[in-house]
Amino acid sequence: MSTASLSTEQAPPISVPLRFFAIAPLFLILAALIAMMGDSIADAHTPALLAATHCVTLGFIGMIMFGAMQQILPVVIGSPMPSSRLVAWFSLLPLIFGTLSLSGGFLLSNSALLHLASVLLGLAFLVFIVASLISLARAATRNATATAILLAVLALTAAVVLGIVLAQGYASGLQLDYRKLAAAHISLALGGWVMLLIVGVSYQVVPMFQLTPNYPKWLSAALAPALFAALLLYLASNFFEVLPLGFVAEGLFWLCASCFALVTLNLQFQRRRRVTDATLNFFRLGMISLLCAALCAVAALLAPAQEYFRTLSVVIFILGFALSVIHGMLYKIIPFLVWFHLFRGGVKKGVPNMKEVIPEPWMWRHLWLHITTLLAALMAFFWDAAAWLLIVGLSLQGMLLSFAIFISIMVYRRTYQRLAKV
Amino acid sequence: MSELDVRGLQPPEPFENIMRALPALPVGATLRVLIHREPFPLYAELQNMGYVWQTSALPDGHFAILIRRAK
Repeated sequence: MSTASLSTEQAPPISVPLRFFAIAPLFLILAALIAMMGDSIADAHTPALLAATHCVTLGFIGMIMFGAMQQILPVVIGSPMPSSRLVAWFSLLPLIFGTLSLSGGFLLSNSALLHLASVLLGLAFLVFIVASLISLARAATRNATATAILLAVLALTAAVVLGIVLAQGYASGLQLDYRKLAAAHISLALGGWVMLLIVGVSYQVVPMFQLTPNYPKWLSAALAPALFAALLLYLASNFFEVLPLGFVAEGLFWLCASCFALVTLNLQFQRRRRVTDATLNFFRLGMISLLCAALCAVAALLAPAQEYFRTLSVVIFILGFALSVIHGMLYKIIPFLVWFHLFRGGVKKGVPNMKEVIPEPWMWRHLWLHITTLLAALMAFFWDAAAWLLIVGLSLQGMLLSFAIFISIMVYRRTYQRLAKV
Repeated sequence: MSELDVRGLQPPEPFENIMRALPALPVGATLRVLIHREPFPLYAELQNMGYVWQTSALPDGHFAILIRRAK
């Protein structure tokens, strides 16, 4: 039994998550602009593609996750980050300028920019990770979500350390095993941080917003630790170059990931309200993409000579899985935040309904645009002209999301001012 | 004791319904809320509005919250 003595620190002010959400889409536009300078999407190791990829992963995905964690932690584990405003500024600003420096460093092969990026990104992640760990240590509840988030933060810590080592290595021309380090960095960042965070948050968000049954207990208890164990096994096999172990580890990871996708799709099939909205379809697209990424990864294991299967798996994971789920969550979380911060403190007249914050037709347009962008990304492997469609699609998505966030802020400000006058 | 069942409602309906029910709660009376998840953001609001509460986890995974005005 929990009682009234529980900590009831306030959730962060709405400006804290919204500042991250408002800036993140600009990095999608920047990624598209930088990608225009690249030769081919199939080779992710060109400077332009490296820069564009980090604009998406750090500038967009990282930025959204920084903001979302500030909001989600108090709601799902009853424990906000300490000094939310201070943490927000000291993670937001270095993340913005660190991502810009890193992209500039890759594009221009500039050592000074890469060194600067290491310092700035190191600071951004240090602040964020320490604040997250404090929040987790103070959690009012120990549930599967808290475990998954903790493992995600641990994976993120290792991914950041390896990222800094890689950036420093490039900048100083050190003799490092870049292929091995980059493989570990990507696995920890995507398979660890992104995957585990989405898994942990989905345990709460899918039943809550999509009105599905809860995830089965056996799955929510075992999935995140199993994914994390597979990741550790993979890292060990990568480090000691034990090929069969790597095979088993990757197989186990993608088996767990596919299990998560299938169970989520099945839960969505059993939802209590049969109305389909755009956010639900973003989520479904994310889960189908995760299954496709798993298939490509298994194909890469079975046919190691076909390098593009691996790249394809990463592209589908980032654009199809991570971005779809993030869009789906944002279109639920932002209207909810606007409504909640206007409504709190008692019943008031004139507070807009959640559905009135961002018009649903815009979400559907974004969904179709996102599907087109994803298909263009897949076609770009075989047909160069599709890369242009991908670039246009990505920048339009950035603009659309910026517009959606802008009108949400306007709805909040207008209503807040009107309520203040009453 | 009056009871409010918000299990299975889509956000923000549970929060909204609880907020609407509270002003009608007589002094000394208790409102028993049945809800499908532990509503952490609600606690901060209850404290700000001068209510006390007690939450119990039910065997079926849902929660029961007893709410009354602080003395």
